[in-house]
Amino acid sequence: MLPRLPSHRQASALLAALVAAALLAFATAQAEDWSAVEEAALAEGRLVVYSTTSRTVPAGESFQALTGIQVEVVRLGEQDLIERAFQESRAGVRNVDMIVVEDWPAARELLANTGYFVNYVPPTAAERFAPHHQDPLVLGYINRIFGFNTEKHDEDPFTNVWELTMPQYSGRVMIRDVAITGEHQNAFTEWVRRSDELEAAYTELTGEALQMTEPNAGLEFIKRFLQNDPIIMTSDTRIAEAVGARGQDDPPYGMFYVYSKHRDIPLQDLALADSRAIQPTLGYYYPIVLQLASDARNPNAAKMFMEYLGTLEGFAPWADSPGVYTPNPDQVPFEGDMPLAWWEEQLWGYDLDFAVQNRGIVLDTWFRYAQR
Amino acid sequence: MRMALRRLRLNFTPQRILAVLFLLVLGYLVVVPLGVMLQETFTVHPMERFQIPGSVTGDFTTAHWERTFVGPNARPFFYRPLINTLIISFGLSALALVIGGLLAWLVVRTNLPFKGLISNAAIIPYIMPSWTLALAWITLFKNQRIGGQPGIFQALTGIATPDWFAYGLFPITITLALHYFPFGFMLIGGAIRNIDAQLEESAELLGASRATILRRVVFPLVLPAIFSTFLLTFSKGLGTFGTPAFLGGPVREFVLSTSLYANLIGQRPGIAYIAAVVMILMGVLVLYMDHKIIGARRSFVTISGKGARAGSVDLGRWRLPVAAGVLLFLFSVIAVPIGALAIDTLMLRPGIYRLENLSLHYWIGEASLAIGLGTGEPGILRNSQLMGALANTLRLALVVALVCGVLGMLIGYTVVRLRGTTVSRLLDQLSFLPYLMPSIALGSIFLALFAVARGPIPSLYGTFWLLAIACIVSYLPYAVKAGINAMMQIGPELEEAAIMSGASWFTRMRRILFPVQKATYFSGMLLPFISVTRELSLLILLVTPATQLATTITLRYTDRGWYPYTNGMVLLLVIIVITTTALSRRIMKTDLAKGLGG
Repeated sequence: MLPRLPSHRQASALLAALVAAALLAFATAQAEDWSAVEEAALAEGRLVVYSTTSRTVPAGESFQALTGIQVEVVRLGEQDLIERAFQESRAGVRNVDMIVVEDWPAARELLANTGYFVNYVPPTAAERFAPHHQDPLVLGYINRIFGFNTEKHDEDPFTNVWELTMPQYSGRVMIRDVAITGEHQNAFTEWVRRSDELEAAYTELTGEALQMTEPNAGLEFIKRFLQNDPIIMTSDTRIAEAVGARGQDDPPYGMFYVYSKHRDIPLQDLALADSRAIQPTLGYYYPIVLQLASDARNPNAAKMFMEYLGTLEGFAPWADSPGVYTPNPDQVPFEGDMPLAWWEEQLWGYDLDFAVQNRGIVLDTWFRYAQR
Repeated sequence: MRMALRRLRLNFTPQRILAVLFLLVLGYLVVVPLGVMLQETFTVHPMERFQIPGSVTGDFTTAHWERTFVGPNARPFFYRPLINTLIISFGLSALALVIGGLLAWLVVRTNLPFKGLISNAAIIPYIMPSWTLALAWITLFKNQRIGGQPGIFQALTGIATPDWFAYGLFPITITLALHYFPFGFMLIGGAIRNIDAQLEESAELLGASRATILRRVVFPLVLPAIFSTFLLTFSKGLGTFGTPAFLGGPVREFVLSTSLYANLIGQRPGIAYIAAVVMILMGVLVLYMDHKIIGARRSFVTISGKGARAGSVDLGRWRLPVAAGVLLFLFSVIAVPIGALAIDTLMLRPGIYRLENLSLHYWIGEASLAIGLGTGEPGILRNSQLMGALANTLRLALVVALVCGVLGMLIGYTVVRLRGTTVSRLLDQLSFLPYLMPSIALGSIFLALFAVARGPIPSLYGTFWLLAIACIVSYLPYAVKAGINAMMQIGPELEEAAIMSGASWFTRMRRILFPVQKATYFSGMLLPFISVTRELSLLILLVTPATQLATTITLRYTDRGWYPYTNGMVLLLVIIVITTTALSRRIMKTDLAKGLGG
């Protein structure tokens, strides 16, 4: 989607310049006078945000009520956001000031490594967030889990992910289409990277060594999972509703749907719970990242909004459900949920470099076995 | 010298000037995007470089083509989805022809009662977004495989539907056919209406049997309409994404558009655009066949336009049962999906269909975190952002419809007046190409083309006009088809007579050519109008906060699972479009049937 790209040499020169600029920006950020930023932000008076999460809209409204700075939010899908921010930056359109972006491996490749967007750490984040949440600056983490129907199962039925490839789960596991879900592709690269652990889990479950036709246990899982007749869906909401609906003899099971859907359990009277036992991972988690446009028209307003989103007040629109976690340690978990630190222990994330290099292979393998 | 001057003057007839102008404009708006797409399929993109050893972003490569057509991934990525796509496309076209043709014949050529009601209702399935039918199908026929509450059919009869019936190619084909059969109805209806009854009567006098008349007289005359229907529905079948993904996923049957989207989301646009190029090529093939087979006959049909109306077939005692059957069919493909949407907007807690759960909260409720889904959003009708977006959508739809209508008329004029020349053919085909291009790709390319000033073209970024241009190019095919057909029916004699009496070109257009076929032009505007109201993928990359549209702002609710809002907005749009159609029918005497060139 990138007509007329600069040549390799131009690109690397550009890259070098941009890295230097980014370092400079980073250094100044450390030394910058926050009250000057606030003052300049008020003078700018507005900012434009592209966001994959719709809760940025209410966050922007409360920010505006607090500061008088107007926040214009454009809600976009993961791939649409990256594509749009990329095309605009390349054309030199200075519309967006900051992005709230998912699928960070792809976004980093197209938006950060090109220098179009830079990282920025506002005061609260610098002070309160653990260092690994600061670069890139994380708004919050989303987790995706395995779920089951509690009318059918009093207790967690899962012990091991390999169970999902076995006859008792044939035709009963639902997952959002990996082909159209970038984060699923990223998550499975971690299953490739940690192939040994996955292989060990297989042996632990069956007592036998894993016989593979694929190059590693991660891809072998994808193959076996797809050969076990899973149900491919297009919406996490529908997965949660289908798994949790009451009165089913043989309810389906949910894999990798967003845990935040469990917010609807009381509202919709669902019989739904997530597995806290399945090994070697309870699912996966991934960051929602904040980045500043390197040629933003309203950089200070954007910085101030980033600061706000790192506070408990700014994060409030996300804190009204389980499954979304600010790196701010002062946050009290949603009722029944666990804190971020607990989930970090229990869930696999993914390695950025490995993910960006291997997700093509994951998608290929998925496609190879997905067709019935 | 005088001869040379005269020749020069002749060379600058209005149609030639227009032809050059349109070729330039369409060249930029259609050929350039096409070129960009082709170029992308030969380029290494950032995330693709890891799978093409030794390559660097921006390199030239043939790897995407090799991967698509040979190699271990060719089958899952390309050939299998291609076969499914073709099955769906052919099936949906055949069904749309049968349903549309049958309805058209009943309305035009029989003494069926309730004709007015039926011909009004028969276009509504196209007014609704195609996914409403897919959703209705699942609600009705789903079985235990996808869990949740059982489907209504199973709840009533106790019979579990088989998987092939509930999901996959079968329901995809059926629901898409139910969405697109109005094309068949409009086109074939128009064609049957235009058949000169004298032709049939002559054949009858000469002793031809009814079957022979049908085969030798009626069928050849309707053939162009059949081909046009086939072309329009087949192309739609190639590119549709939402319905196949939703209904095909549960049994893992995928189509070419899934490959396209998957590779875009996987940041592999090189492979993605090959799927798009293949779709365009298949569409062009059908277009070419259409021109080859029908080309000669088309003029023949139109010359015989105004003749005696054929007498209608008496359905006898079948009159009422047939009418009841048709009405029942239309009722179920219209009222069921609309009703399902409407009911969902009234259920305070989604999916719990009990009387005490009825509420107008999602329409007129105040913002609340405690009621229903606890969205903290005001009801649709008192939500200023939603209403503002709705107003933007209507403004855009009106502007696009008007511009498309005028352009369609002028291009139609040019194509018809220069008939038989290469320029005419080129213009005809160029203006149809956007119909075949995936809108998601078109949106991205328009963003790149218009984001900054290029030569005489200013930057249109963030303006209403960028949205308008994208839509105009995208829906021009409808208007041009209408324009060409309208012009075909006007003999050159009218214009020649006006020239003799010294009327200028503008006067001719204003006083003769436009008024004579006014109804057709207005109809040519309706289809763009309808299509704009539900366009999403073309515009998602182009909207800014100031130009939010009903469909783009609704995303916010969809992704939080707040379907009452999504459904309510769709319902509002459907009501608005139906009202507009009905009003324009009355005021302008327009006929959607003519919009596609009946």
